[in-house]
Amino acid sequence: MTYTRTHLVLFLGPLLLIIVLMYGMMAWTAAVAMDDWVGMAPVWKFAGWNNFHALLTGTLRQRFLTSLRNNLTWLGVFILPTASLGLLLAYGLDLVGRAERVLRPLFLYPMALSFVVTGTVWAWMYDPDAGVFNDILRSIGLGRWTQPWIADPTLGTFCLIGAAVWQYTGFAMTLYLAAIRDIPREIFEAARVDGATDVNLFRYVVVPNVGHATMIVVAMLILVTLKVFDLVWVMTFGGPGNSTEVLSFFMFVATFRQQFVGVGAAISVVIMLLAIAVVVPYAWWSTRRLPT
Amino acid sequence: MTRHHMVIRWLAIALATTLGATTALYAAQQQQLVVYHWWTAGGERQAMQVIFDAFTKKNPTTKIVDNPVAGGGGITLKTVLLGLLAAKIPPDTFQSLSGAELKQYVDGNYVAPVDDVWTAQNLNANYPAVIGKMTTFSGKHYGIPMNAHRANWLFYNTKLFKDLKLAPPTTADDLIAAAKRIKAEKPGVAPIAIGTREKWPAVFLFDVVLLSTGGPDVYEKFYTGQLDVKTSPELRTALEKYKDLIPYLYEFHGAKTWSDIAGPMAEGKMGMMVIGDFAAGLLVQAGFKEGVDWDAVGFPQKPQEVFLMIVDTFVRPVGAKHPEATTAWLTNLTDPQVQGTFNIVKGSIAIHKAVPDSTYPDKLHRTASATFKSKRIVPSSIHGVLAPPAFLSDWQDILTRFLYSPDVNRALTEISDAMTLDKVTESGNWYWAK
Repeated sequence: MTYTRTHLVLFLGPLLLIIVLMYGMMAWTAAVAMDDWVGMAPVWKFAGWNNFHALLTGTLRQRFLTSLRNNLTWLGVFILPTASLGLLLAYGLDLVGRAERVLRPLFLYPMALSFVVTGTVWAWMYDPDAGVFNDILRSIGLGRWTQPWIADPTLGTFCLIGAAVWQYTGFAMTLYLAAIRDIPREIFEAARVDGATDVNLFRYVVVPNVGHATMIVVAMLILVTLKVFDLVWVMTFGGPGNSTEVLSFFMFVATFRQQFVGVGAAISVVIMLLAIAVVVPYAWWSTRRLPT
Repeated sequence: MTRHHMVIRWLAIALATTLGATTALYAAQQQQLVVYHWWTAGGERQAMQVIFDAFTKKNPTTKIVDNPVAGGGGITLKTVLLGLLAAKIPPDTFQSLSGAELKQYVDGNYVAPVDDVWTAQNLNANYPAVIGKMTTFSGKHYGIPMNAHRANWLFYNTKLFKDLKLAPPTTADDLIAAAKRIKAEKPGVAPIAIGTREKWPAVFLFDVVLLSTGGPDVYEKFYTGQLDVKTSPELRTALEKYKDLIPYLYEFHGAKTWSDIAGPMAEGKMGMMVIGDFAAGLLVQAGFKEGVDWDAVGFPQKPQEVFLMIVDTFVRPVGAKHPEATTAWLTNLTDPQVQGTFNIVKGSIAIHKAVPDSTYPDKLHRTASATFKSKRIVPSSIHGVLAPPAFLSDWQDILTRFLYSPDVNRALTEISDAMTLDKVTESGNWYWAK
């Protein structure tokens, strides 16, 4: 079959449209970030780097740094437990045999929930008076270990991360389960004949063979930490004070509540640059390590 | 005539009929009113229905296209509107608060004057002057308000107060003293109930403290940027007293919303609570009786009692597709009958002078209505009515941070910086315009 001009338009058209829309919007945001747009109606007044300047050295510095630090905390604390729990659960499911059918949806279930639901439920669980965490601590005689959880400015972000780990573990597990199922069964059987235990199998067969899944899981989770918004909005509203604010939350409040639209666009640009700065080197590094 | 011609002729007839019918149907559909608002919670939804019913009775051919957007104080609706208005597809009317919040739409040229309705309904005489002021920019009215919430209520647990023979406090000092007594005699009770998870209740509490230390003039000057923040003795005193209150606040306020702690207050687990009149509806729904489980007084009483007011407004967007429906809608809102029925359900009070205090079934709203007519009305800062919304957002962050690390000097610097950044003085000028 020969390809005609019609085919070209038919197949490349939608792709081009998406590219134009996506990159067009990104360019638009970048343009707004360079504008002195304050208020509801568009103001096209070129402001150069003023908005970025305000974020880095000006009056918004403190708030920007708090948000950035919290995003980095998310990056540092959220990914490892989520990915490793996902991998352990996946291996566990692979071992339990037929019970998997019952167990798998159970672990996948949190993924199906909206962040608003997760946030609301976890906020209840973190409740210092009636929440389940403090209740458990009190009932096992560890009453003095009870915490204010989300009401504590230093603990807040970690509490949010806890909820996110719960929500995303199922996602990591699914990808890892698929990766484990891809490993040829002969390797497992051969290892067992040689006397390998389940732990040995995990260490020497599973872990070295799920690298490609790790790459996807970690890359996706990195993006989650950079764009996290819903849980912060629902559970703490960035508080107490600004202590749990993240960049996307700051962006939303600055743009839509305070109507510093130029500043909001500048924060969006920062978020995008961060995503590029983190994900691109990671993807490059991990694809190099994959067997071809 | 060939078969081919026959087919074409029939097709032409069919097409003409369809086109004609569509136009006719479209004309019938033309009488619409597209309305956006944020009244979605339990009682609010029913209250909105009262207005809808009254509107439909007066305008039976106009179809209401209802677009409720959940989110207290219109926080989400504003995001939705920003898109609609910028894209030049405005609804026929939408809800806004008055004052600085409404000014944003005026500044963006998104809303048109409503002076025709204002004059036709003689609102200068029928509404309090301050309400006219809060909807007037550059000499023109831009919104039709229809109800007022009172923000400066002190709710308290009646049994607890009877037990301790406490009288409801009248000043900030009184409030601290009462809290001290409660803490000393009932260590298990949190003297002051507050939930700051959504941040803004921290502003409610601060506002009454400032009204107590500075009075209404200082209050209005502060929120319109007319006060020298760093040197004002009243503001410093207010922050110091706010700091003195901290040990008596419910310990885990950062984990609770205002609605979480209203119940415990009525049950006696907490003592007092500064919040708007909307808390009354919640308490009654939860089965707590006014005068038995809880009661409320206007606060502070000294140096003078005021009605700290939040007003809901509807506007006429520029380029609305059904202008007659918009006018009919705005006119309907000013009807005293509609305001009375609506406000009973909504839990606020009517602002039309023709609505008698006896309209309301509960003491709290009857008192509110009487206070509204007899005492000075001060616009509340909440949700960006007096100070611009940009400042309110920073302000509630400053106050909630202060509750965790109370440093008066740092707070004053933060307030001063935020006021400069958010251009409070500049955007507060409308309030002082003659």
